[in-house]
Amino acid sequence: MLSINNLHASVEEKQIIKGLNLEIKPGEVHAIMGPNGAGKSTLGYVLSGRDGYEVNDGSATLNGKDLLELEVEERAREGLFLAFQYPVEIPGVSNMEFLKESVNALREHRGEEPLTAAEFLKKAKAACKQVQLPLDFLKRGVNEGFSGGEKKRNEIMQMILLEPSLCILDESDSGLDVDALQVVADGVNSQRDGERSFIVVTHYQRLLDYIKPDFVHILADGKIVKSGDASLALEVEKSGYAFLGKAYEESEA
Amino acid sequence: MSDQIEQALSKQYEAGFYSEIESDTFENGLDESVIRRISAIKNEPEWMLEWRLKAYRSWLEMEEPEWAHVDYEKVDYQAISYYSSPKSMKDKPKSLDEVDPDLLDVYNKLGIPLHEQEMLAGVAVDAVFDSVSVVTTFREKLEEAGVIFCPISEAIQKYPELVKKYIGSVVPRTDNYFAALNSAVFTDGSFVYIPKGVRCPMELSTYFRINEQNTGQFERTLIVADEGSHVSYLEGCTAPQRDENQLHAAVVELVALDKANIKYSTVQNWYPGDENGKGGIYNFVTKRGICHNDAKISWTQVETGSSVTWKYPSCVLKGDNSIGEFYSVALTRGRQQADTGTKMIHLGKNTRSTIISKGISAGKSNNAYRGLVQMGPKADNARNFTQCDSLLIGDQCGAHTFPYIESRNPSAIVEHEATTSKVSDEQMFLCQQRGLDAEKAVSMIVNGFCKEVFKELPMEFAVEAGKLLEISLEGSVG
Amino acid sequence: MSQWLSEVIAEGQRQNDWLSGNRQQATAALANVKWPVRRQEAWRFTPLVPVEKRTVSLAGPSEQQSTAPVIDGLEAYSLSFTGNQLSDEQGQVPEGLTFTLFSKADEAQQASIQALLGQVKPSHHLFGQVNDALLTEGVYIHVPANTVIDTPIRLTQLAASAGDQHLRVLVHIEAGAKVSVIEDGFGDADSLNTFVSEYVLEAQAELEHYRFAMYTQQAMHVGSCHFKVAEKAQLTSNIVGYGSVLSRLDVDVEYTGEFANANLNAIYLLAEGELFDLHSTIEHAVPNCTTEENARGIVGDRAKAVFNGRIHIHRDAQKTLAELNNRNLLLSRRAVVNTKPELEIYADDVRCAHGATVAEIEEKALYYLLTRGISRSQALIMLNFGFIQELITQIPNAAVSDWLLHRLRERFVSMEVK
Repeated sequence: MLSINNLHASVEEKQIIKGLNLEIKPGEVHAIMGPNGAGKSTLGYVLSGRDGYEVNDGSATLNGKDLLELEVEERAREGLFLAFQYPVEIPGVSNMEFLKESVNALREHRGEEPLTAAEFLKKAKAACKQVQLPLDFLKRGVNEGFSGGEKKRNEIMQMILLEPSLCILDESDSGLDVDALQVVADGVNSQRDGERSFIVVTHYQRLLDYIKPDFVHILADGKIVKSGDASLALEVEKSGYAFLGKAYEESEA
Repeated sequence: MSDQIEQALSKQYEAGFYSEIESDTFENGLDESVIRRISAIKNEPEWMLEWRLKAYRSWLEMEEPEWAHVDYEKVDYQAISYYSSPKSMKDKPKSLDEVDPDLLDVYNKLGIPLHEQEMLAGVAVDAVFDSVSVVTTFREKLEEAGVIFCPISEAIQKYPELVKKYIGSVVPRTDNYFAALNSAVFTDGSFVYIPKGVRCPMELSTYFRINEQNTGQFERTLIVADEGSHVSYLEGCTAPQRDENQLHAAVVELVALDKANIKYSTVQNWYPGDENGKGGIYNFVTKRGICHNDAKISWTQVETGSSVTWKYPSCVLKGDNSIGEFYSVALTRGRQQADTGTKMIHLGKNTRSTIISKGISAGKSNNAYRGLVQMGPKADNARNFTQCDSLLIGDQCGAHTFPYIESRNPSAIVEHEATTSKVSDEQMFLCQQRGLDAEKAVSMIVNGFCKEVFKELPMEFAVEAGKLLEISLEGSVG
Repeated sequence: MSQWLSEVIAEGQRQNDWLSGNRQQATAALANVKWPVRRQEAWRFTPLVPVEKRTVSLAGPSEQQSTAPVIDGLEAYSLSFTGNQLSDEQGQVPEGLTFTLFSKADEAQQASIQALLGQVKPSHHLFGQVNDALLTEGVYIHVPANTVIDTPIRLTQLAASAGDQHLRVLVHIEAGAKVSVIEDGFGDADSLNTFVSEYVLEAQAELEHYRFAMYTQQAMHVGSCHFKVAEKAQLTSNIVGYGSVLSRLDVDVEYTGEFANANLNAIYLLAEGELFDLHSTIEHAVPNCTTEENARGIVGDRAKAVFNGRIHIHRDAQKTLAELNNRNLLLSRRAVVNTKPELEIYADDVRCAHGATVAEIEEKALYYLLTRGISRSQALIMLNFGFIQELITQIPNAAVSDWLLHRLRERFVSMEVK
């Protein structure tokens, strides 16, 4: 479903991704780990098409479509979802308004009728409940005044509502206590249906106790340097990124 | 508590002495003949005289500005003298050894020794006494680097092409009432030219001293930084303590050509008048710089003196990617009045400006920030950030903020913030509980308040400025 | 002096009725007024050329629209004024207050009006003086002590062509009383109006106030709202401005008693070549009062927005809390914003802050919306409008809030987003 070949990308003329290859089949969960500055977050931005992230070489296709040719919103409509590490606050735009607009844009793209206000509200309430957010939250501005945990749960709620085919979770565990982590993980796990695929970007192995990956990749200096199964994550947890060489160890310290 | 602050703020003005120096001083009054005489004494070419006369004729048509938040007895322009020079300067001493020792003494007393070996290493000084430049140090060393640093009266004769090209190019003759007056009667000041790609090897500095009674000081400074050059320049000013007000109407023009960088710092300590508002300098100054592509001009000022200040060092950001900065500390006490700030005119693309203004009001003074940020229609992606903070010491003073913001470009971003605070009882208590006396505590708090600006000053002067503030604050604690 | 002003004075002197005393005072003051040019701070960015070109004539009855636009769900006592006359009346005078039209005032009421007129409005407002001199109709509302009026009063001024209109509103809210007044104005006809309102809030009074200056095109508007706020009284005011060839609103709040507070929200949404100028002055003349003011505007096309927000803390006004924030969005290269938040402070133990920004939409927010599949154009509308929507949703009257949201959104969407 997602196929990345020899991807090179830069930010402000600085190379961050330097020849990345990744193949993801429907229903798989891939974890991407790596030291700070390895390019983990950049990958999500490049795949989603953020301004300022320049692709210099290589390709990325989602379900056979060339992602790199598409606008940000078109990629989203093709089923790519990015759960942000630091979701932005948008005062004045209510969550409800935002989510309805978003859900209906995707439905339209799939050739479905837009949801009526009542239908949408029902769905939104259910999703709210699932990630344990209070209902009045729908009336508030997007992420406005939310705690870190609420923002992360809001991202997962959006994922549930938008039913994407590929979800990229960018450090969705950072800054969460155990209870909140459980909520986020439950939300993600509930969306694993054998078809939907996930890229779980994380710095720590902890999240992977809750969301079991099929594959674990180590990203360092813009490339995947090592791949394995879930046990690779445990190895990293135990002995750090020492195997990458001294430079990484120090940068971690 | 506030009695202590009051007390900490009322120390004597240390530069208030008058020196018995024999001078040739014009009789009071202003007309075209006075301008012709100034021009003749300075041995100026015809074009310069013409330029002055045009300025004078425009000035006659103009009205003194009244929009500033200051209130003062208007100057009688016929009651002051427009030229005063120490007699000993008549023969134009060729080296420091020929300069009247009494004159050098004045500067020694002010803490500015002019003998090169005694000076702060790495600072060249032009010393202007009333209407003439007394001496300019380190000229040879600067000349080696191709840097011109000399009195403007000399530059008019020696480098007429440069002066003719740039004088009035940033502050036109008719820019405003005081600039027009200055253009007509300016007597001396400094001229600086930094050639292409040269990083000026030392700090340049001009020290202005008003000594004679009933004279006005009208200096004019012109700094041209050619492509890719760097210069840091500092001016200082003092005057004797007198019961009459004296006028200082200067013009400073900066030209930063492509990729040039000018840093202009001022420590202004003109006589502020006594605690009842008697005497003191009227400091009505026009300072402006123009930035071409990728150039940068940074103004830093520490204003503690003058009875009335009217001063807005500005940047015209004409070139793409150019940068303007304004860092200001203005302290008023007694009956001082300051209306100061800046103008950032963004014309080019990707231009950036930063304004940090710290106003401290004590006693019965009034301290106003007045600024303009203008984003022109072609200033795509231009940015401005402005922070104006006021600190009030005592309940008889005033602190005011008048920022004008104009934007004509949808991609430009302007942000202005202003806050006001006082030296709180809690802060004082904490400092005192830790063993500091009230004066030290206030000066510490004030210094902390000004830190963002002080760090922009050249190192030697940052210390100076901190001390100056401390002196000025003495007696203000309550 | 301009020809127009001389005509105003002559016309004011010609009027002969029970308000002549007030008129004479005004015409005498106007005779000494220097006609504002751009060098005068108050009119620096708003030229009065369109006014200078007019000749003075008071509007009579009009054939034009004479009823106010309907605000769904609003149950109010509503009066509309067209061409200096009452043109429509809906609902009943709420129980508990006295409501008087100037034209129907009896002698006692005339005395009350004469006594109150001009007592709140500072005398330096040129067009306020013009209103004093030429007003022919007005409303006087008196709310007795400790009376809570639940039904809002809506007063609508409809611009009618050719004539000048000078409506006056006087509201006296006695101690502990509570009332809500909606002042709105509409129309695009070639006309000039000064719509002046004065409010006295006695101790612990509460006022929920609205002023919507929705004039467009050729309808010139130079109006004002003035408030005197006594001890522990509370004022909330919501202002909306469209622009016309000349539209200017002056708002003055003066605290006369301690522990009072005012909350001012203003929105302006300008299209085409419109001009809207909002000047607010908050006089903290006594200690311990609190002001919060938020003004936000979106300026499109060739429009021009002027904002001047002054906070003046007097010598003894210790423990004042005052905050003012003005934010602007420019949608076009030909649009202009001139903003000036001012602080003038003469007391040291106060907390004052102001901020002003002119900005574009945050790239991060736009990206976020795009990653959720929302189109760029829709995302821009949501974000831009979200900027003022935040203030609309704070409006206490739900019917008014919904109506405004709908109306402003419609206006916004029709503005070209460039």
